[in-house]
Amino acid sequence: MNIMNKKISLADSTVNSIVKVEKITAGQKARRFLADLGVLEGVKLRIVKNDLGPVLIEVKATRVAIGRGIATKIEVTC
Amino acid sequence: MRRSRFNQGKRRYTRKSRGGKPRGGKPHIRRIFTPPGSDHTIEHRIAFLGNPNVGKSSLFNMLTGGHQHIGNWPGKTVEKKEGHYLFPRRIDNWIGGISRKPIEKKEGHLLLSDEYFSIIDLPGAYSLSAHSEEELITRKYVVEEEPDLVCVIVDATRLERTSYIALQALELTDNIALIVNMMDLAEKESIQIDRHKLEKQLGIPVLLVSAFDNSCIIRIKKFLYDALHTEKYTFTPAYLIYSQKLETMINSVSRQINNREILQDYPTRWLSIKVLEGDKWVISKLEEEYVLDDIFKKIEKLKISENFDPADEIPKRKYRALKSIVKKSVIGLEDFKEKKSDKVDKVVMHKFWGYPILILIYAVFFLITFSASGPVISGLDSLFISFSEIVRGWLLAINSPAFLTSLIVDGILSGITAVLLFVPIIIIFYILIAVMEDSGYLARSAYLMDIVLGKFGLQGTAFLSMIMGLGCNVTGVLAARTIKSERDRISMILTNSFIPCAATLGVLTSITSIFFKTKPWFAALLMLILYAMSFLLVFLSAMFFRLFLGKSDTMPLIIEIPEYRMPRLKNIFHLTWERAGVFIKKAGTFIFLASIVIWIASNIPYGASPQETIAGYIGSGLAFITEPLFGFDWKIVVTLLFGIAAKEVVISALSILGLLTAAWTTPQIIAFLVFQMTYAPCFATLAIIKSETKSWKMTAIGFFYPLILTSLITAAVYHILLLFF
Ligand SMILES: Nc1nc2c(ncn2[C@@H]2O[C@H](COP(=O)(O)OP(=O)(O)OP(=O)(O)O)[C@@H](O)[C@H]2O)c(=O)[nH]1
Ligand SMILES: [Mg+2]
Repeated sequence: MNIMNKKISLADSTVNSIVKVEKITAGQKARRFLADLGVLEGVKLRIVKNDLGPVLIEVKATRVAIGRGIATKIEVTC
Repeated sequence: MRRSRFNQGKRRYTRKSRGGKPRGGKPHIRRIFTPPGSDHTIEHRIAFLGNPNVGKSSLFNMLTGGHQHIGNWPGKTVEKKEGHYLFPRRIDNWIGGISRKPIEKKEGHLLLSDEYFSIIDLPGAYSLSAHSEEELITRKYVVEEEPDLVCVIVDATRLERTSYIALQALELTDNIALIVNMMDLAEKESIQIDRHKLEKQLGIPVLLVSAFDNSCIIRIKKFLYDALHTEKYTFTPAYLIYSQKLETMINSVSRQINNREILQDYPTRWLSIKVLEGDKWVISKLEEEYVLDDIFKKIEKLKISENFDPADEIPKRKYRALKSIVKKSVIGLEDFKEKKSDKVDKVVMHKFWGYPILILIYAVFFLITFSASGPVISGLDSLFISFSEIVRGWLLAINSPAFLTSLIVDGILSGITAVLLFVPIIIIFYILIAVMEDSGYLARSAYLMDIVLGKFGLQGTAFLSMIMGLGCNVTGVLAARTIKSERDRISMILTNSFIPCAATLGVLTSITSIFFKTKPWFAALLMLILYAMSFLLVFLSAMFFRLFLGKSDTMPLIIEIPEYRMPRLKNIFHLTWERAGVFIKKAGTFIFLASIVIWIASNIPYGASPQETIAGYIGSGLAFITEPLFGFDWKIVVTLLFGIAAKEVVISALSILGLLTAAWTTPQIIAFLVFQMTYAPCFATLAIIKSETKSWKMTAIGFFYPLILTSLITAAVYHILLLFF
């Protein structure tokens, strides 16, 4: 049961899993831009691609690519 | 837990600044306007606002038939565009003004003359905060220009996300309507949207359309007409009530700034919300009049003691409200459905296979461009030559003075035709770009290139600007606007002239084909090396500029990847027209003037030998430096000098000065080719650098940095080659 709620960074999440954003620790500017694109605390995302390069996610029916650097600052739970 | 509510009915706050104008309700006709050459007297201004890639420009073009950027890449429209259409005025709603004889009877309505509807296509924005220039332009336009109606365009398949900006706009203005576009796609995905429920919850008129369905034109026109004229729609825009804690804070800021002298056009509540969100533009403006330190102290305290940040809380509440609105009015929305695009992307964006595919696609792209434009160019060339001869003969026949004939034929005509020769290559190039763009591949190549460019500290979005620059540096610099990180944007603007444009390529191919006729493999290898060198210069300069532009203003890569779409002929036409148009305009202005100046410089005093003309003297002067450094004699210097006006002129200057048949040494040829690849931006590019950076300093750097760097490289190359030849 505990495994289900383990907190990991978006950069470490597995492909095709659906995760929930817990906390975003990036700078204010980036946080606000993420919010404009629908990525904010409490929102559910699907990981479309996560290997090399930016993490590709699906959020509110759109695909968004997020640079790896900032992806490590987004904390999610499965 | 307190939940946000959406309040129906008139807003409670008042905007003192509007000077007692009625709040909410039906917008009024504001301007009496007579467009030239017509007798239409009433103008309505309607602004199209919305996220990138929702189809604003498509709808704009459909309504106005105007020329606009359309493509499947978020953020193509970088400047606001205005277009118009006429719509018959109906007598039963006619409000008065100038009386006019009825001219037509239709559908039982008596028609008077037409009314003039101006549509303003604003750049796509994800929000109305001040992240980027575009968002600032958009928000200023909405408030300060007071359009009669702000029409928010949203995408039916992504209703929730694309409506976020609508909630923000509702806080900013009352005269607002919603157009839900892409209904054709929604239908395919069996998404059903209840227009009436949306209308009721938002308190504004809503229309469902598809930009691909021509029957929508009349529906949109009627909708806009009715929204502006009739009682059919009521405007009682809803506004979001935040949590108790936020509302208290909003009210306390509002009280403080209520009697302000500045920013009177902006609603007080909206300004307060923006202060809490930490909007830099609003805060710095307000701080001209107020000390807001108390508020910031309070926010800081809340952040530490309760982990509560209004800047996070406000968007959260907005999205929560949106979610409930969408839930109530849409059926068939499926969360996290794998789309066709995702399946294709498994291969196209694959960490390994993505790259061979990318290389293949771009290789085909360049192959088509050059093999298709070759025959067209040589055909045009002979056409232009015979045309010039006809003009010359005609001028001789009417006894025009020799110097005038020479000015017209050898100066102006040859200058302009030199540029026109590049039109086919530019058009083919931009057609292919448009195909890639409209299909959605360009966004993917930016994604793939992010990994490569990241090694040089650049973001994937910079790739778009480089690719565009291969056609014409002016469009390349303009394309830098889609780069969110200010540092990357500036460095792409300053280094775009390193990217060999079509004209530079023209010089390169004509020189190599003449001097290395017997060694085609060497010529090809040389060209490849020169191209690689240009791109390497862009990358290394980006790293170099990083040292100066600082780390402060970095914005990590966050881009939307659109779905694949079948490229549409109409879009491709508009896109190509827009970009090739930039080039043709350049030909018409800069190059026209430049060719006159060049003719004068190389023909005055008239009849003197080339070396004794103005250009000859300047060239000979400079040759004292360039001869030992790069092996450039006065003729080569003059050619390159003219090339600063426009690179296209280099070829014609070479032939006029007889350089194409002269004897060059191998080090000379190679040094010349190296130098001309990157030495300076042309005038048109310089002008666009100035207008994009709004700084003379940057413009000067944009000119001297390439010049100095290229001189150093060329000198090194020349002297190393001298050792071997
Ligand atoms: N299926 C479908 N596609 C549409 C519709 N409207 C627009 N598109 C496509 O969506 C893409 C983007 O359209 P644009 O009109 O450029 O979007 P925009 O809102 O002006 O975008 P920006 O200028 O970047 O803000 C293009 O590929 C259009 O062909 C529609 O109603 N249905
Ligand atoms: Mg547009």
